[in-house]
Amino acid sequence: MEKKGQILDTFPVAPFRKGTLARDIVVIAASFTFMALFIPLHWAIDFTIFCILVLSFDLLYGFMGRLSFGHVLYYGTGAYVASLMLLHVSRNPFLAIAAGVVVGAVLAILLGFVVLQTDGAPFALINLAFNQIGFWLAASGLQQYTKGEDGLNTPVGKVGFLDFANQPIAFAFLLICLLLVFLLLRIFTLSPYGVTIRSIKENDDRVKFLGYNIFTYKWLTFVLSSTLAAFPGTLFALFYGFVAPTIISPFGNVEVIFAVLIGGAGNLYGAIAGGVVYKLMSNYLATNITRWEMLLGILLLIWVFKFRRGLTGYASEMILRLKRKQAAEV
Amino acid sequence: MLEVSGIDAAYGHAKVLHDVSLKIQQGEMVFVVGRNGAGKTTLLQTISGLMAPTAGRILFGGEEIHGLPAEKLARKGIRFVAQDKKVFSDLTVRSNIELASYATGEDLTQAIGRLTRIYPKFQEFLDRKAGGLSGGQREILLIGRALVGKPRLLLIDEPTEGLAAIVIEDIFRILNEMKREKVSAFIVEQNLSVVSRLADRIYIMKEGKIIKEMADRAEIAKTAELEGYL
Repeated sequence: MEKKGQILDTFPVAPFRKGTLARDIVVIAASFTFMALFIPLHWAIDFTIFCILVLSFDLLYGFMGRLSFGHVLYYGTGAYVASLMLLHVSRNPFLAIAAGVVVGAVLAILLGFVVLQTDGAPFALINLAFNQIGFWLAASGLQQYTKGEDGLNTPVGKVGFLDFANQPIAFAFLLICLLLVFLLLRIFTLSPYGVTIRSIKENDDRVKFLGYNIFTYKWLTFVLSSTLAAFPGTLFALFYGFVAPTIISPFGNVEVIFAVLIGGAGNLYGAIAGGVVYKLMSNYLATNITRWEMLLGILLLIWVFKFRRGLTGYASEMILRLKRKQAAEV
Repeated sequence: MLEVSGIDAAYGHAKVLHDVSLKIQQGEMVFVVGRNGAGKTTLLQTISGLMAPTAGRILFGGEEIHGLPAEKLARKGIRFVAQDKKVFSDLTVRSNIELASYATGEDLTQAIGRLTRIYPKFQEFLDRKAGGLSGGQREILLIGRALVGKPRLLLIDEPTEGLAAIVIEDIFRILNEMKREKVSAFIVEQNLSVVSRLADRIYIMKEGKIIKEMADRAEIAKTAELEGYL
């Protein structure tokens, strides 16, 4: 029992326990499967791809505190490279995924050295500038390869059971991909590396005082986050069989940022919940209302102001209040 | 161990430190006292690598450390505990220690064991966010974190500033423990009761200069005399 004067106003953080990961995986898999029973399956597939993108962004923004307005550059790169691979080299989807992810990683490795020379608003804007260049290249500069505004039609082959034309199979495959990314990020963020990047988010200088070369950590996180963003890009190309410059449009970053804010930054569950809630809102509004963008904007504003720490932050506060109430009753 | 010779430091055109020289021997607990604005914090920041001196030399273990970035100084065994008592508030108390443990390679259980030994109350706070700690508890956590990996020299800026008397005694007890274990420390402090009981050597600063050095225990113990400089 806590006494007054001690730390009453903090939410206890459960230490990492064996079995937690398995529980998380089962909960997410069950939730997505349950959700797929009530919405069109192609929506569920779209949500799953988007949630992987949001998870990748949460690593950079939520965990390390670096807001980028250029994250979809890597998503779009993954999509275009996978499409070009399918068109010109092989129809094997796994090769397309590998190519998209590798090129996304190489791009992040190179650009990381440039963008990480900055912080704060300049970091966000320099990423936006690179994203804009990527958009221009896709729409115009490299149109002999990308077919510009017309986009690329990508023929996807079957590999064994994996047939992207079969929606239930595609959904199962994408759900496994989501779970793998979640698992990877869960392990990373709970590791010493995760502790370090969360401390970099709070105060770079203090981390230096402990002997860390923080540039290395920032660069590694940027590369990992961007590479993970290229991955759902390849999945998009495989499922939809079509890629156009809109996929790499800087406006796409707004959706990802909103999703993270809705769910609660720096929480992997929050990223997934935020991704699903954002997509549900935008899809339902787009289906039922003509000028849906304005209403979505208003709804998002209300949400972000009402739940400043996102869904997960709100849930934590509720649990804390409940615990205080129980403690007061005792 | 640490030898500072004739350093100057400035904020833009405003010169703050003037020809400051001092030394700290292995295992010594050295204090700097002086009025607000005397340049004590600037001196500590210059030694810790946060500010570059405009003149002079800083030798640590016979090696020039002037201009080295903070992370390199940390790897040489110099730890800096700043005045603002900022812990990693979003991390748990345990993770705050883990961070130092990973960087230094010291076993985490051992590091946490030391922290809970110097301040047993932390045992029940280990898995709580450090942001919820009181000012005194934060300071103790910062000192405990700085002690991870057996540092060669601790630089501490005003550890008792703004704390209640009961917490100051906790800090005193911890510093005293450090002194018994011969941890070398260079501490800026205004609380003369703490200084007079712990100091092996005192430097008194005024207007960016060291105006007096005291290394005689009998002289240091005379708090009333020290008060004249504050």
